[in-house]
Amino acid sequence: MSKERKKWFSLNLRNKEQNSCGCSDSKCSDPSNKKEDGISQVFDVNMDRRQAFKKLTAGLVIGAGAVSSSCSVVSDEKSKEKSQIEWEEYFKGNYKLMSDEEKRKTVNRLVRSYELRNGKKINISSKDAENDVLFGYAFNISKCQGYMDCVNACVEENNQDRASQMQYIRIHEMEDGKGLNFGESDDTYYHEVPAAGHFYMGTQCFHCDNPPCVEVCPVQATWKEKDGIVVIDYDWCIGCRYCMAACPYDGRRFNWTTPEIPENEVNKDQHYLGNRLRKKGVMEKCTFCIQRSRQGKNPACVEACPTGSRIFGNLLDPKSEIRWILENKKVFRLKEDLGTEPKFWYFMD
Amino acid sequence: MTKLNQSLFILLMVISMISCKDNHNEYHNLIDKIEAQSINFQKDSVFSNNQFEISELVKIIDNQPAFYIKNRKNKIESYACSECHDRPLDELQTENLGKRAHWNIKLIHADSKTMSCLSCHNENNLDNLHSITGESIDFNFSYQLCNQCHNKEVKDWKGGAHGKNLSGWKTSRVSKLCIECHNPHKPSIEKRWPDRFNTQMVDERK
Repeated sequence: MSKERKKWFSLNLRNKEQNSCGCSDSKCSDPSNKKEDGISQVFDVNMDRRQAFKKLTAGLVIGAGAVSSSCSVVSDEKSKEKSQIEWEEYFKGNYKLMSDEEKRKTVNRLVRSYELRNGKKINISSKDAENDVLFGYAFNISKCQGYMDCVNACVEENNQDRASQMQYIRIHEMEDGKGLNFGESDDTYYHEVPAAGHFYMGTQCFHCDNPPCVEVCPVQATWKEKDGIVVIDYDWCIGCRYCMAACPYDGRRFNWTTPEIPENEVNKDQHYLGNRLRKKGVMEKCTFCIQRSRQGKNPACVEACPTGSRIFGNLLDPKSEIRWILENKKVFRLKEDLGTEPKFWYFMD
Repeated sequence: MTKLNQSLFILLMVISMISCKDNHNEYHNLIDKIEAQSINFQKDSVFSNNQFEISELVKIIDNQPAFYIKNRKNKIESYACSECHDRPLDELQTENLGKRAHWNIKLIHADSKTMSCLSCHNENNLDNLHSITGESIDFNFSYQLCNQCHNKEVKDWKGGAHGKNLSGWKTSRVSKLCIECHNPHKPSIEKRWPDRFNTQMVDERK
């Protein structure tokens, strides 16, 4: 990991020479100095006057609210707890840098916050990637019939905004004999399927091994996990949409408004990096259903597909179905020449 | 001049070697990475699956790795067939028993030159199926019957490229049997309407 390029958030600017744990030698013995996170990430940074003012104003807005309600004698315990959570959530660090303890704490805060607002318990996981796992996906373009059962399953599983009809998956209806012509394909068809003389091709986030969206993120709010899933920290994303522009596959979606899901339709089995409820102004996308796949289940689209066009598995398991397909079928990926190395293969019967 | 050429050549070699490794990872491409990292892969072969009871499953052993299907035979209504079919078929037909069973089955599978009821069902022993060569095939292993013509599909099914995986990616595979999706008497799949119509996307595309 020491080979990795310097992260923008290494804040220990006084010590130019750093060792692997990110702090100077003398400090390494002290475990309390091991990780810079939370408040220290926001405050212990050299900044100029302008930046300082910006941070102060932003902090003040939320701080004023928190202080006014937490110090007030009239407001009840619940609203005090609420503003305490808001305060701590505002000053938490990037998920990628959090220790297991910090992950547990933020997850607990989010669960409690939802309980205070809606009176219902949700379950948010912060399960890490397993060793010897690299997720891959295969899509059979001869079998897909364009039923779009996958799209509905995905929307329900991943708590996507119902008002804007956000969907991670697009199914493109393509005409036979015209090749893979996305310009002329139709992803908004509504007629009996399969239509004669057409085939269907699904696209979504391809979880590239060399993801351009991760490269361009100015705040490192999106990254590739060890099991190959490209994830987003919704609380770190600033909504600049650079990643949306950088993705050559139209894999990313933006929340232009606050996502709204009817309370009874909210999927309460969530993951911090997956389907937990998003807010306005952040990016989201397919996470191979991280809340399911890290528990050994298949993503919702794979489970919902009635035709068996979708195959999911561990690329590092030589006996897995996905490996059998890579070794025995004629497979291809979209825009392979870009060098993005998608972990999403198409194949035909 | 030759010395200059030589040093240029060496320089180019060095640059190309560096640029190969420059891609901030140690593999040339994804396939190299997958192959290198899966050499020492260990998977425990013990059946571990909390969705299914092992007693409900049947193991398919003529494939490596072996996988499972759900037991089909004990789900067939009024099996064993011999409980009714205790006499030869033509005897039953002359008895005027009326519409007792199977009367609604029409065979719409290939043409009459290729398929009849008796291509798969054995009139002398209706408890089992039989192959073209007359070998008995258990109802649980009906894919062996399909394999006579659709061997490419069955090969893909065994490998995992065709059909439906009912378990997750992590545990031993449980697959749907051919006939759970394709009605053997009428295997073609009918058209239907899509599950979803995205009006927002229609507006955006205008």
